[in-house]
Amino acid sequence: MADAPVDVLIIGAGASGAALAWSLADTRMNILCLEQGDWMDPEKYPAAGRDWEIRGFGDFSVSPNTRGRPEDYPVNDSDSPIAASMFNAVGGSTILYAAHFPRFRPSDFKVKTLDGIADDWPLDYERLAPYYDENARMMGVAGLAGDPAYPPKALPLPPVPLGKLGETLAGGFNKLGWHWWPSDSAIATQDYEGRAACINAGPCLTGCAQGAKASTDITYWPVAIRRGVTLKTRCRVREITVGPDGLADGVVYYDADGAERKQRAEVVVLACNGIGTPRLLLNSRSKRFPEGLANRSGMVGQNLMFHPYAMVTGLFEDRLEGYKGPMGCCLMSQEFYETDRTRGFVRGYSIETLRGLPPVSTALWGMTQGRIPWGAEHRRAYDAIFDRTAGMVIICEDLPEGHNRVTLDPELVDTDGIPAPKVTYRLSENSTRMLAHAVARGKEVLEAAGATETFAEAPLPIAGWHLMGTARMGTDPATSVVNEWGRAHDVKNLFIIDGSIFVTAAGVNPTNTIQALALYIGDMIKKNLANLFD
Amino acid sequence: MSATTTTQPISAAQVRTLASVLDEIVPPSDDARFPGAGALGLAAYVEQTMAHTPDLHQMTMQGLAALDRLVQAKGAESFTALCRADRLAMLHALTTTEPAFLPTLTFHTYVGYYQHERVLEALHLDPRPPYPKGFEMPPSDLTTLLAPVRRRAER
Ligand SMILES: Cc1cc2nc3c(=O)[nH]c(=O)nc-3n(C[C@H](O)[C@H](O)[C@H](O)COP(=O)(O)OP(=O)(O)OC[C@H]3O[C@@H](n4cnc5c(N)ncnc54)[C@H](O)[C@@H]3O)c2cc1C
Ligand code: SF4
Repeated sequence: MADAPVDVLIIGAGASGAALAWSLADTRMNILCLEQGDWMDPEKYPAAGRDWEIRGFGDFSVSPNTRGRPEDYPVNDSDSPIAASMFNAVGGSTILYAAHFPRFRPSDFKVKTLDGIADDWPLDYERLAPYYDENARMMGVAGLAGDPAYPPKALPLPPVPLGKLGETLAGGFNKLGWHWWPSDSAIATQDYEGRAACINAGPCLTGCAQGAKASTDITYWPVAIRRGVTLKTRCRVREITVGPDGLADGVVYYDADGAERKQRAEVVVLACNGIGTPRLLLNSRSKRFPEGLANRSGMVGQNLMFHPYAMVTGLFEDRLEGYKGPMGCCLMSQEFYETDRTRGFVRGYSIETLRGLPPVSTALWGMTQGRIPWGAEHRRAYDAIFDRTAGMVIICEDLPEGHNRVTLDPELVDTDGIPAPKVTYRLSENSTRMLAHAVARGKEVLEAAGATETFAEAPLPIAGWHLMGTARMGTDPATSVVNEWGRAHDVKNLFIIDGSIFVTAAGVNPTNTIQALALYIGDMIKKNLANLFD
Repeated sequence: MSATTTTQPISAAQVRTLASVLDEIVPPSDDARFPGAGALGLAAYVEQTMAHTPDLHQMTMQGLAALDRLVQAKGAESFTALCRADRLAMLHALTTTEPAFLPTLTFHTYVGYYQHERVLEALHLDPRPPYPKGFEMPPSDLTTLLAPVRRRAER
């Protein structure tokens, strides 16, 4: 069945798809977004029940393989020490994200020039800065001006509270004379644009029932829809089709009833994230593109970057009230961000402190660590740990490597029978050394803050939530998939706007940069409308 | 696993044994502030979880059957009627014959126990979910706390 043609078809309603839909809405073009997931109902998020913690291991797990909702597609990540995580709904993975919202630093766009590794981006920080500012306003970013690690930036809301736990850790950083700053967070710390202020409830990673966390279903989408964009949910795209002129002419998708449909479009935009996008391109094979759409370079799926994470936790004597406050946002240190070759690796990392473990998680963590046994010793062991832990994740810059990749699994398929992605990933020597350095520094700062014991896990196996590099941007069609404004070299009416197009990963969370890029690409599309396909 | 195994209901006697096992997994605290997991009624929680977790159901039923065999071999009336030392000895014996039984049951016991109102109160927490009330957090004195970071940046 064929639907009426549209001017612009966006595939994926997550962080980037929402931002682009909003950006293009003022053109009065006929814009449609197809999203395989549905609208979420915040009333049904786990936070309103006492079982909220355990639901994070079930229907709100970060892993699509564990959740197994009908809208999820499976990911074969058995050949990777880091499992892929994402969410499939209007809002995409921002439904579950922690909303830690740093920008890239200016140096992140030119690592080849600075350090002789990987590649420079075909654009720089100054080019993206106005789009970061615009994104800050649309998402509602909280933070404190004056961070010496960054050029001045727009932060419309005051920072999230540090709490007793944050103050304790800040003391450790100060003792060592290390950089730290309250985290930039996409969280409404005051009532903002119709969103209620954060109540420091904690469970941001299973959805924010309060509506304070900036998931795009409550930020960009309502405005984009009011301005005329159509969003169709429970529509899963199987492939992008190509006309006789070599341009994309639309998609084949399955609607909510599982019926196969055809949607024609003048421009096709991919916003399915660093795994979903290469999967769809590789599934879109034709005579003209036998290796997958826009893949003449062979780069589609290659250079997958995750951000290897270390998690370091300290045990303190006093209670820290760590169950209060947004779980993933507190303070960030970039003391070890830039390259210092005496450390034995290139580039660096950010340290992001977390809150403490809530009651059930304390017991389960203690169980896996062999610290909280059953039986007579249970009470003493639990009480020595509950509300006395403070942790941090350390986000290491991952370098692009061709052998880390997304391919199609030969057997695995989703509920519509579409071939599923397979992830193949090896931790590089550089990342291994960086993780070891990060763990040692993490322990050092926790001890400086007063921790009596420390624990570390690196790489953190569940932390494959930053998906980047699998359709990278560049000026050379032989070594990149899209040009400097997101247009596929091989298919001039196909754009890619998600984390796939990252050239390098930086050492910070990616979503602010993903969205700033989407807004920039939106502006470039608008500026070049008259000769978009030249 | 056969459908009969999954749906085979747990008997009243088995529920009593389960409650005693739970009291050994998380015993009451000496000052009685924290109840034992069995006395708290968590056998019902485990039973409910078993109903939609076939693996847990099978493992629990197997573990309870094995425990029952040990009780009979000892000529005792029931697991509950044993003295504490004998109960613990039997549970430890199960760690080799039914290695998954206690870890799985412990996992689910912890999950049920540490979300229970009485336990949250004993932990000095409000016995409620985090939403909609949330938590008050006063702002920090960032000027003082960040002074060393600013001083260093100016140097
Ligand atoms: C637990 C967790 C914590 C995180 N924390 C942070 C954080 O603190 N800070 C940060 O910066 N980032 C964080 N992230 C990452 C962040 O969520 C992602 O970077 C961001 O959402 C990516 O945006 P995107 O537009 O590329 O893709 P997504 O937001 O993942 O959206 C892609 C959308 O495309 C849809 N889609 C895919 N394939 C198809 C198809 N074939 N047909 C139709 N629709 C399709 C999906 O259903 C999905 O809705 C976190 C992620 C997770 C999972
Ligand atoms: S801490 Fe704030 S942002 Fe996080 S879930 Fe609670 S209200 Fe939402």
